[in-house]
Amino acid sequence: MAKSLWCILTRFLPRLLVMVLLFTGAQGLLVAPGAAQGIATGVTMETGPENTLGNRSDAEIWHDLRLGADGIVTPPSGPDAGTVINANGTWWSNMRRADGPLVRYGGYGLAGVVGILLLFFLIRGRIGYGEDSGKQILRFRLSQRVVHWTVAAIFILMASTGLILLFGRAYVVPFAGKTVYSVLATASMQAHNLFGPVFAVFLLAMLFLFIRGNIPKPHDIWWILKGGGFFGGHASAGKYNFGEKLWFWTAILAGITLTVTGFLMLFPDTFAPEVVKTLQAQGLSQIPPTRDTIHYSELAHAIAALIFIGYALGHIYLGTIGTKGSLKGMVDGKVDENWARAHHDLWLDLQQKKQQETEK
Amino acid sequence: MTLIQLLEGPLWKGSAAIFVVFGIWRLAVILFTGRTRAKAKPAGSPFVGSVRTILGHFLPGAAIRGHGKTWFVTLAGYSFHIGLFALLLFAAPHVTFIRDKILGVGWAPLPRWGFIVAAEFAFAGLLALWVRRFVDPVVRLISRPDDHIAAGLTFVVMLTGCMALGQQSVFLRGLHLGLVEIWLVYFPFSSLMHTFTWPLSRGLTGAMAGRRGTRM
Repeated sequence: MAKSLWCILTRFLPRLLVMVLLFTGAQGLLVAPGAAQGIATGVTMETGPENTLGNRSDAEIWHDLRLGADGIVTPPSGPDAGTVINANGTWWSNMRRADGPLVRYGGYGLAGVVGILLLFFLIRGRIGYGEDSGKQILRFRLSQRVVHWTVAAIFILMASTGLILLFGRAYVVPFAGKTVYSVLATASMQAHNLFGPVFAVFLLAMLFLFIRGNIPKPHDIWWILKGGGFFGGHASAGKYNFGEKLWFWTAILAGITLTVTGFLMLFPDTFAPEVVKTLQAQGLSQIPPTRDTIHYSELAHAIAALIFIGYALGHIYLGTIGTKGSLKGMVDGKVDENWARAHHDLWLDLQQKKQQETEK
Repeated sequence: MTLIQLLEGPLWKGSAAIFVVFGIWRLAVILFTGRTRAKAKPAGSPFVGSVRTILGHFLPGAAIRGHGKTWFVTLAGYSFHIGLFALLLFAAPHVTFIRDKILGVGWAPLPRWGFIVAAEFAFAGLLALWVRRFVDPVVRLISRPDDHIAAGLTFVVMLTGCMALGQQSVFLRGLHLGLVEIWLVYFPFSSLMHTFTWPLSRGLTGAMAGRRGTRM
């Protein structure tokens, strides 16, 4: 009895499902487009003698379905019309597994950044600038400070929820269990999706408010050659040194990547196919406008986020405990003249020259 | 009784009662404790001054003209308040909650895209205004702990509400409801009361100016 039931479940029901699908496909209810992704031309079911299972094995049928057999389709429209099983996503599934390369190397990368910062702090200590001069100089306007800290607040939320989603299965499930992680994951996903567009808007505002001064200049070469003064000596810099400029452009480029890929993932059925078709028409992309787009988007999103977070850790370190007086500059807007002399002497000279001209 | 039953039952009723009773009490104190009568001869109409100030200050005139910092405060203020009230009154789970637990009647909720847009505006406005309290030296000086607690509580209430949007977790719903209840208890004793007191303070200021024959 049990054997018969098992036979019905494993052999008869799948075939019945396929036959029903074939029948409905023949009725024109389902589309049979040339959008199939595999090479199979269709599943053929030859009926064998009565009480037999035909001449094709289950493995053959599922093999054909996996390759996208024509005539058996589930989504009647959208980017995956004509595909029952998109086998192209297997690489992405393997990539993002808890024990996959993205989680492993992404984790190594972030741990490496934290390790380097700790080591740097132990070797170099806090970078100072001597005594306070008592003279303050305006470095950041109110609008710049508001936008900076708003971006920072949203970034912390986006980064923490994103890291939970990326690393949760590898690092949260073993300790807290699947139930706790499911709650964390759904909460993180909702918050991440909701704050994404706000982050994009404020990042755009940051681009406009901070771009002035962040264009690379010839004197940046000397700053690089002197190692930014991180290991001793003085490296002259304008309003922003080369490291800060690199951070600014990394944040902007990573932010653009995160925004574009984020929107593709938020609107996979509408936004993604249109964008990809446009890119293809311009000869800028070879990626087909299907779910594959989303897989590439997810990969680019994760890599851009890891770079962004890694660089942000360095920025946070240098802006707080790493450099005396920097945090005050971004909170109050003003810095001590000696701080400016130590870190941004070319900018200080320019400001003093402007002030002298105004006084004349 | 489970925690969620406690949050949806006695704790909800208790916090709502504190919100209503002490909110009314505070409004009554403002309205009925009286003020010293002005003895000078009025140079204009207090009533006209009051109405003009209450309504006129809705217009973002200074903001449009780009005066100082007001454009930012006006923009962020409108963004936050309109977004918040849209969420509070028209988010689908809130409409259901109001219908089932408070009024017995509901109304058409916002579509999902409308909810998302309202939430984006509310969060952007609240964050920008709250950040300003830390980075503007003058506003930082006049900000009291109550202002930060009020902003922080409102933020976490909104955040947990959005986190529970998937409606897949009783824990997340309970967390949101629990924070709403703390917010309701805190409300009547804090600067959050400006939700109801703004017409009174703005009206009084306008009336005093109107009586002196000036404008606010």
